[in-house]
Amino acid sequence: MNKSKFKAGTMLGLLLLFFGWGFLESSDLKTLVKDVFPIPSTTGNEELLAGRVRAILPKGSAVEDDGLGGFAVRLGQGEPKLVVIAALDGYGFFVSGITPEGYLRVDRAVPPPHAQFDGYLLGQPVVISTRYGPVSGVVAQPAMHLLTQEVRKTVVENFSLENAFVDIGVRSEAEARGKGIEILDALTFWPQLTELAGDRWAGPSLGVKAVCAALISAAADFEKGSPAGESILVWAAQTKFALRGRGPRVSLGGARAKNRWRPQRTLILDIVAAEKGAAAPGLGKGPVLAQAKDVQTPLRRGLERSAGAGGMSLQYLAGAETPLLASFGDAESDVVILALPVQFMHTPSEIVDLKDLQALRDLLVRFLKSGGEK
Amino acid sequence: MKKQLIALGLSVAVVSGALMAAAESPRAWDILRKIVLVPGVSGQEKPVADFIQQSLPARLKVQRDDMHNVWFTIGSGQPHILFVAHCDELGWTVDSVTPDGKVKVKPGGGVLPQAAEAHAVLIYTAKGPVPGIIAPRPGYDERRPEGATAQPYTAANFEIVLGVADEKEARDLGVAEGNPVTIKKTIVDFAPGMMATRAVDDRAGCAALLDAASRMDWDKLKGKTVTFAWDVQEETGLFGAAALAKVLQPDYVFAVDTFVSSDSPLESKRFAYMVVGGGAVLRAVDSSSIVPKFELRRVLAIARSRGIPVQVGSSRGGNDGSVFLPGKTVDIPLAWPGSYAHSFIEKIDRRDLEALTDLILALVRDWR
Repeated sequence: MNKSKFKAGTMLGLLLLFFGWGFLESSDLKTLVKDVFPIPSTTGNEELLAGRVRAILPKGSAVEDDGLGGFAVRLGQGEPKLVVIAALDGYGFFVSGITPEGYLRVDRAVPPPHAQFDGYLLGQPVVISTRYGPVSGVVAQPAMHLLTQEVRKTVVENFSLENAFVDIGVRSEAEARGKGIEILDALTFWPQLTELAGDRWAGPSLGVKAVCAALISAAADFEKGSPAGESILVWAAQTKFALRGRGPRVSLGGARAKNRWRPQRTLILDIVAAEKGAAAPGLGKGPVLAQAKDVQTPLRRGLERSAGAGGMSLQYLAGAETPLLASFGDAESDVVILALPVQFMHTPSEIVDLKDLQALRDLLVRFLKSGGEK
Repeated sequence: MKKQLIALGLSVAVVSGALMAAAESPRAWDILRKIVLVPGVSGQEKPVADFIQQSLPARLKVQRDDMHNVWFTIGSGQPHILFVAHCDELGWTVDSVTPDGKVKVKPGGGVLPQAAEAHAVLIYTAKGPVPGIIAPRPGYDERRPEGATAQPYTAANFEIVLGVADEKEARDLGVAEGNPVTIKKTIVDFAPGMMATRAVDDRAGCAALLDAASRMDWDKLKGKTVTFAWDVQEETGLFGAAALAKVLQPDYVFAVDTFVSSDSPLESKRFAYMVVGGGAVLRAVDSSSIVPKFELRRVLAIARSRGIPVQVGSSRGGNDGSVFLPGKTVDIPLAWPGSYAHSFIEKIDRRDLEALTDLILALVRDWR
């Protein structure tokens, strides 16, 4: 084992101890979600989650790396070659500096998903993933008593990363470094999972983690037996990072996966905003089948047949444009997104319906086993 | 053999010490970590008042009024000194449940509403706590039209999502008008003796008083009357203290509360700069009282004689002792220095809480 893998393993162990989870071997979806949920994974800082996914995958899985931090397992044989890809990374931050007083400064590797995103940091607990394990911090907020009424009204609107300071309870840069803090350490919202009524869960980056868990669970289903054709299950890093250049935004992680595994068909497992008006997907109504253009393709037909055979509901979304889709979509490709509907997407409380997640996972397994109920 | 006997003796001593420590009453820091999680939104303090009453030594004759102010008085003679900490916390109350099962709250709350946006809350119902999420404002992820300004966002805008489909399902969970609501609290441990969470203001004061009440040998109290009180509705206007002032006429009141410190990267150090970790604080000047300097010097002399670290400073905010001022009472607010007051991440250092507890005990013993 090389040094960096040993360090990552140690960090992961500390993280799981910190948040009270132990190691487990299970394909139970709820258990898997709870297992991967607290593991920080932001664009360029996917190492811990990648390590955990590899550890949970069925023993003996042949893992292929993509050189960016993503990896895949190859199952079955025969044409057409299908890639099923899910992201490892969610939106988040990293440590960009340490003040002489020991406060941390913050930056991000990719633009925020929306203008409000950075504002959710103000006055919140956060976790910094260091080489010694997780370090707790809070994002400083002015004391209410010391603000004038006028300033109170604008303190959040005027908050940005320019005035974000993370307090980790130390008084100097040396003390901060003594806790293991280094520039580029991932900084994420406190992984607080809230179990709502109606089998709905909420938490930061829960959508990506839930989809990641669904793909793990699907892989576990093939510990004995194979899918109908050659299927490459990919957990991709740096999917939120866009390739430079003109034209539509193309996901680097997606482009890497495409060139590495050269699929004939691609099934992208992603998340999609839910409960945003009558036309938008809803929670609890099943996974969402999304395409750039509303056209029948062999992949779509296969998924629909599997859903029908399994008595599962599907929701539809046409005109989807995502960086991941753009990285796979070209004239010759058969690319479909199978998405988990997420309410309050890209907030510290993304809500998912566990029934949707289970349906997405079951549909994926059914489709892989049957090759689309041919 | 001799070495083995020494080792055995040391082991016995260590184990005995640990057992003795375990048998002692919990100290202020441990009390704080529990009491901070007990709900007690202003006007609905029964759960935290119950906690306080149950935590007090059985031999103390505890009184409680209809508002849930809790206190005990011990000793006789003059001076009569009162220590009071407020047990209420910032939060909201349920105003209504919408037909689609979302919960609206009454305006107010005392915290920055924007800091609660898209975060989890707990609604304390007759059937137990019900978790919910404060929905982000509509269009949170959409680009604001050119020239448009942000709409005001207050607690009146909150819509709490429970995961239910309609009002009936929400009510089946126990949700009803008047239920208290707090943010779902997270205790952030920076280190073994430093943490941040909601409601440290003023559960820290409550914990210090509870610890002092348990540690004090009340049989040794001579020549004075001492009252310890945990009052309610401080955050909404010192109402609990006002009720206490009708039944108690102390010579001195030591209001035990937060010192709103500017020990943070965001604030001017022009005033209120009392260092977190630097000891207890004498809140000499705030928005509601000014302590006579000769009384300050008396407190400092007692602290010095017992080696208790104490800082002296001025800040903002009111204190419960101020309602006693129109009568004969002298108000001397005692405090712990806290960063990020009235946020969800109020920060406290264990050393300050222990110094505050020691100072309370010293004043009970030495104040004349």
